[in-house]
Amino acid sequence: MKLPKLRAIGPSLWGIGVFLLVLAGLAPWIPRFPLTILVNLLIFAALAYSLNFITGLTGYVNFGHVVFMAVGAYTLGYTVGTIRLHPLGGVALGGLMALVLALGLGAVTLRFRGVYFAIASLVTPLAGLNIVLVLPALGGGQGILLNIGFDPLSWFYTIWAIIATEVGLTYWITHGRLGYGIRAIKSDEDAAKSLGVNAPRLKLFLFALSGLFAGATGGVYAWTTSGVFPEAAFDLTFSLRMLAMIVIGGMGTLLGPLIGAIAVYLPSRFFLTIFIGTESIIIGLVVIVIALFVPGGIVGTLRKYVPELRRILE
Amino acid sequence: MSQPVEPETGTPSAPKSGRGKLIAIVIGVLLLVAVAAAAVYYLTQPPVPTGTLKVGFTISLTGRYNVEGTNSRNGIVTAANWINSHGGITVQGKVYNVSLDFYDDQSLQANVNSLYPQIIEQDKAQFLLAPYSTLLTSTAAPIADQYDRVMLSHGGAADTIWTQTTRRNLVEVLSPASVYLKAAVEWIHTNHAADKIAVLHENDPFSTLAANSAIIYAQSLGLDVVYNQSYPTGTTDLSPQLNAAMAAGADDLLGGGHFNDGLLIMNQLKTIWTPKFVSLLVAVTEPSFQAQLQATANNVTGPSQWESAVAYGPTLAQSLGLPWYGPTPTEFTQLYGSLNAGASPSYHSAEAGGALLVLAQAIGRANSLNTTDVRAALGNMHIMNFFGQFQIASSGLQIAHSMIVVQWQAGALKVVYPADVAQASVQYPYTGS
Amino acid sequence: MPEPMVLVTDLAFGVLLGCVFAVIAHGLNLIWGVAKIVNVAHGVFIMLGAYGAYFLNLYLGINPLLSAPVDAAIGLAVGAGFYFGFLHRELRGKESIAQQSEMVTLVATFGLALFISNLALRLWTGNFVGIPWSPGSIRLGFLQLPLGALYVAIASVAIIALTHIFLSRTYLGNAIRAYSQDIPATQLMGIDPTFVAAVGTALGFSVTMAGGALLSVWLPVGINPGMGALYAPISFVIVVLGGPGKMWGSLVGGISLAVIIDVGQAFVGTSLATAIAFLTLIPILLFRPEGILR
Repeated sequence: MKLPKLRAIGPSLWGIGVFLLVLAGLAPWIPRFPLTILVNLLIFAALAYSLNFITGLTGYVNFGHVVFMAVGAYTLGYTVGTIRLHPLGGVALGGLMALVLALGLGAVTLRFRGVYFAIASLVTPLAGLNIVLVLPALGGGQGILLNIGFDPLSWFYTIWAIIATEVGLTYWITHGRLGYGIRAIKSDEDAAKSLGVNAPRLKLFLFALSGLFAGATGGVYAWTTSGVFPEAAFDLTFSLRMLAMIVIGGMGTLLGPLIGAIAVYLPSRFFLTIFIGTESIIIGLVVIVIALFVPGGIVGTLRKYVPELRRILE
Repeated sequence: MSQPVEPETGTPSAPKSGRGKLIAIVIGVLLLVAVAAAAVYYLTQPPVPTGTLKVGFTISLTGRYNVEGTNSRNGIVTAANWINSHGGITVQGKVYNVSLDFYDDQSLQANVNSLYPQIIEQDKAQFLLAPYSTLLTSTAAPIADQYDRVMLSHGGAADTIWTQTTRRNLVEVLSPASVYLKAAVEWIHTNHAADKIAVLHENDPFSTLAANSAIIYAQSLGLDVVYNQSYPTGTTDLSPQLNAAMAAGADDLLGGGHFNDGLLIMNQLKTIWTPKFVSLLVAVTEPSFQAQLQATANNVTGPSQWESAVAYGPTLAQSLGLPWYGPTPTEFTQLYGSLNAGASPSYHSAEAGGALLVLAQAIGRANSLNTTDVRAALGNMHIMNFFGQFQIASSGLQIAHSMIVVQWQAGALKVVYPADVAQASVQYPYTGS
Repeated sequence: MPEPMVLVTDLAFGVLLGCVFAVIAHGLNLIWGVAKIVNVAHGVFIMLGAYGAYFLNLYLGINPLLSAPVDAAIGLAVGAGFYFGFLHRELRGKESIAQQSEMVTLVATFGLALFISNLALRLWTGNFVGIPWSPGSIRLGFLQLPLGALYVAIASVAIIALTHIFLSRTYLGNAIRAYSQDIPATQLMGIDPTFVAAVGTALGFSVTMAGGALLSVWLPVGINPGMGALYAPISFVIVVLGGPGKMWGSLVGGISLAVIIDVGQAFVGTSLATAIAFLTLIPILLFRPEGILR
């Protein structure tokens, strides 16, 4: 598979690239408070991009995506807590463990039709939680507390690297030969298979990627909270938030997950004291409206109704 | 659902990508300007007005912990009110009032780690209180060390917060989770040492620690623990477990989890088993426990960090040779009621209010606003206030505050243990009515 | 190895729990069988049913058993609203829902779940509430069973039996079953598919909300806006275990699940038994996707 030539890189990728580079350059000078908000935003965006690989691109709705995040978080918790590994190592290993889980899980559940896949995915975090609860090595019900410092700058560069890789991969996948196969699967899997698309392998590949990055991001999350607790790690609300983000931003698009993360995270963070509790109500409403009437989310709508942006936004 | 993404046909020619790049660069520059403006804004916040000490914290006013969090916030506000109307805090001859700076963390870890930097960097808080719950306190803890501010934990009880880490500035005011059920075990050992014990607890950080510590303590005293099981949060049916505990020959039942677990256990006990002694975490201290269960609640015991009826006071303090500071339990209850439309303070209100009082006393004793001095004062103090005794180990873990045991007796909640603060004695056995 | 008597008691408790699990899953089963869509927001309607029983008890003193029919009536209206609000767009008499439409309903109902559960949180706060109703217990041999759970189990089986009778013995019921098998043929018989699908959906929601009212008997202080997140996965697993669209499948699936948890906990503890119970979904989907029942 050839890499796209440099001058072939579309405007969207340029836009995100410049954005990320500017941030990376400025980071050491950003005061810690806005930096932590930025880090949390990027964590959510990274999760959204990871879910985008499977749900956005193939249409297989993965409600249980949080299970990869939890595996990553627990890997970091275990390695940093028990063998004093540096958190960066925990993040990398977290991604790896989640990748392995994704391969195993995907080999089984991706055979199921969309709806059954969604249900199976709903059940995995619950099963995972209950298994972790009985493992004393992982802290059981008590969780693992980490004796690490508060270091937003390190978190920032780690999550930055994760997002940059995800964005690059998303672009490469959608613009290469794989992109045709993926789009075919999304519209009609059986027809795609009859045309020779190796659907199982493609789906597994994307599922594995989604697991890898969700796991790494889960590790970063555990790093930022200095510990991992079972109920919080397997919290279904994370999956639901990520799903809302890519739906609102635009499933399968390059900018969608980032825009969705901004649209969902920032208002809830800044309107903490004003509209207590209402942002989730609004998000739910927006998701319904988008699913029924405005498929394509923000990015899709802009592309549809503003022709000038069609070339730029993707 | 969304339209498939169409890639550009072949390689785009120079003019198209050039315009796209231009837009991208413009966006990048705008971002630069925005970030720079934000930086300038945050770094030039006005300083705290002199004569005021700013104490900052996040608290769960919404979300999972909203009930406990709101009660804690009310307790803190009450304590601040008392401090400011009773001479404030004197440092180096100057009198300071306490001003509170708090935000709702929505019971979420992700909010805690960005709100505390805001509280410190933007709002310039000088001292900190921790959030409510073990989960959020453990997330906030490293922030206190990073910014070198003292932080007092009033709602995070798990010992592991201090035993699994080496934090410097986090100090515990409430009794740690490991001692929650110790008083009950002690009482059983002293009065009914032949009783067999069953432990059934929720599998969350706090309940697990409390239950496991109780079991270790019981076994060290020679008591027979015949049943020990945990259940995940949200289990609908505990009948099999309660039945198994009875079948194992247990006489007493310890454990539970949060409020709804306690109620579930009590309801299912009605048809399955009548233990001779019941001690459940958290649920027992709530008035709605008795309101829901009526006569079934009688003689059920539970550990509590505090009740309004405790006999902590200047007299008791003097007899133990401890300095006393702050309102008496009755005065705190009255002040709390006047600020909260007649409501009574729960133990969350008291532990949080007590934490603020401890902080005030430490600052006064240190006679300095410097973190190191105040932290040293906290480390050296052994005092009593309306919440109870305060003394910490070098790690910051609380070692002097004792849990009390409460029991519902004829529809009223009484403090029954330890003897020096009790109003009544323990009724045994539990009869289910 | 636990004693046999303890195990039999666990089995009895499991059956009782399984019946109420069955009735909360049954509504989902109906909708899945008729409209062939999976309502991700299913848990939310169970929650609404439970709150319905709670408020009926709080303000009118009605006990949860009697609240069930009231909730059922409300559920009919809610179901009809759901059909015309959501499903009509997607189905409109089509044979089956297209792949893309399937995803649309998954996402849209997910949004609905978010919306309603958070609205409930705002209106009723996150406080756990319950109905103080304890009719006592009954002794059957060496078993001591709570009467509340027993009544609820009987009511649950009755509801499932009633729906079975409705679907197999009445004209409308047969029309619904015909619709679920072959839509063009149904139209050829002169039956309006829209009406039939709407009734089927309304029935499903009606059973769900009645189930929520019955479930509340098991939750002395367990009703809260987030409870759907626990009971929706349970419902899904039950429907898959029993076989989607199979009426008695709800009962078989519900009892199987509850028995695995209640009996399993004696051997491996509650957490692991719960995990195993949920994971049975996977082998069933792999090897027997039509469910346990033939």
